[in-house]
Amino acid sequence: MTANQQSNEGPTVKHRHRVEGPEKHIIVFIFSIVLTAIAFAAVAAGGINTAFTIIILLVMAVLQVFVQMGYWMHLKDKGHLMPILFMIGGFFVASTCIVMALFWVWW
Amino acid sequence: MAHAHAHSHSAKRYTGIMDWLTTVDHKKIGILYLIAGGLFFGIGGIEAILIRLQLIKPMNDLVSAQVFNELITMHGTTMIFLGVMPVIFAIMNAVIPLQIGARDVAFPFLNSLGFWTFLFGGLLLNLSWIMGGAPDAGWTSYTPLSTNDYSSTHGVDFYTIGLQIAGLGTLIGGINFLATIITMRAPGMSFMRMPMFTWTAFITSAMILFAFPAVTVGLVLLSFDRLLGANFFDVAAGGSPVLWQHIFWIFGHPEVYILILPAFGIISEVVPTFSRKRLFGYSSMVFATILIAFLGFMVWAHHMFTTGLGPVANALFAIATMLIAVPTGIKIFNWLFTMWGGQIRFTSANLFAIGFVPTFVMGGVTGVMLGAAPADYQFHDTYFVVAHFHYVIVGGLVFGLFAGLHYWWPKMFGRMLNETLGKWTFWLFAIGFHMTFFVQHFLGLLGMQRRIVSYLPHQNFDELNFISTIGSILMGIGVLAFLVNVVITARKPVGAPDDPWEDGRTLEWSIPSPPPEYNFKQIPLVRGLDAFWKEKMAGNKEMTPAEPLGPIHMPSPSILPFVMSLGLFIGGLGFMFSTEDFSNSFMSLIFNKYIVLIVGLLITFGAMIARSVHDDPGYHIEVEELEGEGKA
Repeated sequence: MTANQQSNEGPTVKHRHRVEGPEKHIIVFIFSIVLTAIAFAAVAAGGINTAFTIIILLVMAVLQVFVQMGYWMHLKDKGHLMPILFMIGGFFVASTCIVMALFWVWW
Repeated sequence: MAHAHAHSHSAKRYTGIMDWLTTVDHKKIGILYLIAGGLFFGIGGIEAILIRLQLIKPMNDLVSAQVFNELITMHGTTMIFLGVMPVIFAIMNAVIPLQIGARDVAFPFLNSLGFWTFLFGGLLLNLSWIMGGAPDAGWTSYTPLSTNDYSSTHGVDFYTIGLQIAGLGTLIGGINFLATIITMRAPGMSFMRMPMFTWTAFITSAMILFAFPAVTVGLVLLSFDRLLGANFFDVAAGGSPVLWQHIFWIFGHPEVYILILPAFGIISEVVPTFSRKRLFGYSSMVFATILIAFLGFMVWAHHMFTTGLGPVANALFAIATMLIAVPTGIKIFNWLFTMWGGQIRFTSANLFAIGFVPTFVMGGVTGVMLGAAPADYQFHDTYFVVAHFHYVIVGGLVFGLFAGLHYWWPKMFGRMLNETLGKWTFWLFAIGFHMTFFVQHFLGLLGMQRRIVSYLPHQNFDELNFISTIGSILMGIGVLAFLVNVVITARKPVGAPDDPWEDGRTLEWSIPSPPPEYNFKQIPLVRGLDAFWKEKMAGNKEMTPAEPLGPIHMPSPSILPFVMSLGLFIGGLGFMFSTEDFSNSFMSLIFNKYIVLIVGLLITFGAMIARSVHDDPGYHIEVEELEGEGKA
C-alpha cells in the first residue's frame, strides 16, 4: 500500500498547495477580476483622455501578467528555476518576432 | 482488497499490431519513429534521385516542369520534417531515458501522441501525390507563389495542414524531452554530468519549443489566406509577403540547429567510445551547444539578404552568422583532441563519425561564405547554396544519424549490424555524397540557379551535372546497403551483449540489449560524468543501485493517441477541401458544409474527453516478476 504511492508524487505537491490555502487563491482571483474591471471601467467611462486610458490599460496589463505568472503558473514558488528560464526564453523569441514585424514589415 | 486493486495484473497488454498501435513504451515508440522516418526518408530519396535524373543532361524531359516543382518541394519538406526529424526522435526516444537512468519519458502517453500526430501529418502531406497534385511552391513556400493566385491546386493546402499536424507531434515530443531531462535524471546525475547526447537533445528540445510556434503561426496564417479568404500576405489588401519570409526563417534557421545539434551529440558519444578516451573539453562542449542555440535565433535574416532589408540589418546579421562559427569550431577541435592519442577503432559507427568532421567543416566554411552579405548577392539562389546546405544536412546530420544508428542498433534491437556491410554503406554513401554535392559548389559559382527544371547545353554545366547525378545514385546504393544490412541483421537471433562495443561509457550500456520494458530494475546511482565508465574503472561490473528492489509502476498502453491523431487527419482533409467545387452532391454536402471537419474534430475531442474522465492508474510489475526476469 505504501508501494502504491512509490511513483506517485501527488501527496507532496498537494501538501504545498494546502499550506498556501484557498484563501490566497481567492484573494488573487478577486484581484485579477478587479484589474480587469478597472481596465473596462477606464474605457467605459469615456471622459478620461485617450493617452491616460492607454497608460491605465498598460499598467493593469502588466500587473495582470505578474499575477498570472506568479500565482497561477507558480513562478513565485521555489524550485521553478527551469520554468522561469523557459519563460524568459519564450519572451525573448516572442519579442523578437514582434520587433521584427513592427520595424521591418509595417514601419 | 486495496492492495489487489493497486497492484492488479489485469493491465491490458496487447500483442501483435495492437501492441504497436497502443504502446507508450519509449523504446517501441523509438522503433516506430525509425520505421516511419525511414519510410519518408526513402520517399524523399526517390524524389531526390528523380530530380537528379531530370538534371543529368541539358534540356532533359524526364519530368514536366510542374512535376519537377512538386519533386523539389516534396523532397525538401519530406526530408526535413518527415525524414530526419523523426529519425532524430527515434534515437532520442531509444537513448535518452536510458542515458539518464530513467524508466521512461516524463509523459509516455504524450510520447505516443507525438508519434501518431507526426505520422498522420506526414501521411496527409504525401497523400497530395495521389489527390490532385503535391505542393509546388518550394519547401519554404514563399508567398505570393504559395497563395491561391499562383498555386491553384490543393498542393500548398496539403503542405500547411499536413505540417501543422506533424508539427504538433514535434512540439509535443520536444516538451516531453524537456520535462524528462529536467525531472527524471537518476540520483547523482547533475546537469554537468549528463552525457553529451542528452545535453544536445535537451537544447534541441528547447529550440523546438521556441521555434515551432513561429512556423505554426505562419502555417495558420497561410492556410487562412488560402482557405478562408484572409489577406495576411496579400499586398493588394495591405498584407505583406515579407512577413511570411520572416516568420518562416525565425522558425527555419533555428530548425537547422534543431537538426544538427543532436548529430553533434551523437558524434560526441561515438568518438570518445571508439577512441577509448573521455570527451575532450566536456564543459566547453556544453557551453558551445548553448551558445549555438542562442545565436541560432538571431541570424534568421541571413536567408533574406537579397530581400532588401538594408545595409545595417544585413551587416548585423552577417556578423551574427559568422559568430556561430566560433562555438562550432570549439566543437570540431574538441572532437579532434578527443581522437588525438586515443586508441581509435574504425567501426562503421566511428567511420561515419570521423567522416562527419571534415565534411561538416566544409559545409560550415561555405556557410560563413554565404554569411558574408555582399558575396551572398552572388551566391543567392544558385547551386552553391544547394551544395552548402546538403553538406551540413547530409554530410553533417545524416552522417551523424548513420553513426548513431550503427552505434545504438544493438541497444535498440539486441543485434549487432554487420560491420562489413556497414563499411560498404559508409564508403558508398560518403563517396556518392561528395560526388553529388562537391561539384554543385562549382555549378553554383558558374551561375546555375537552384530549382530550375532544365538548362541549355554548352554552359559548362553538362559534365558537372552528370557527375552529380552518378553520385546521387551511389548514395542510393549506399542506403540500399544499409537496408540489406538491417534485413540480414533482423534475421539473426537476439544476442548482443549489454556493452557490445566493450568501451561503453554511459548508462545505456549497463543494462541488457534490448532493455526490459522497465529499463532499470533499480535506478542507478551516478557518481560522475561517464557514469558506467567510472564504475568500470573502479572495478565494478555494474552500477550501484540508488534504491532497493521494489514494485515498478508502469503506464498502461492506450489507443487514444492513435484515435486523436486520426481525428486531426480527417478534420484536416475536411478543412482542406471545404472550398472545393464538387460535381457530386454528396461530396459537396459533407465537405462544403464542414461535416468532415466537424466529424474529425469530434473524434479528437471525444478521445481527449475519454482520456480526461477515465482515471488510469497504470499497473505494477512485482518484485517476484523482476527477480524471475533478472535470472534469465
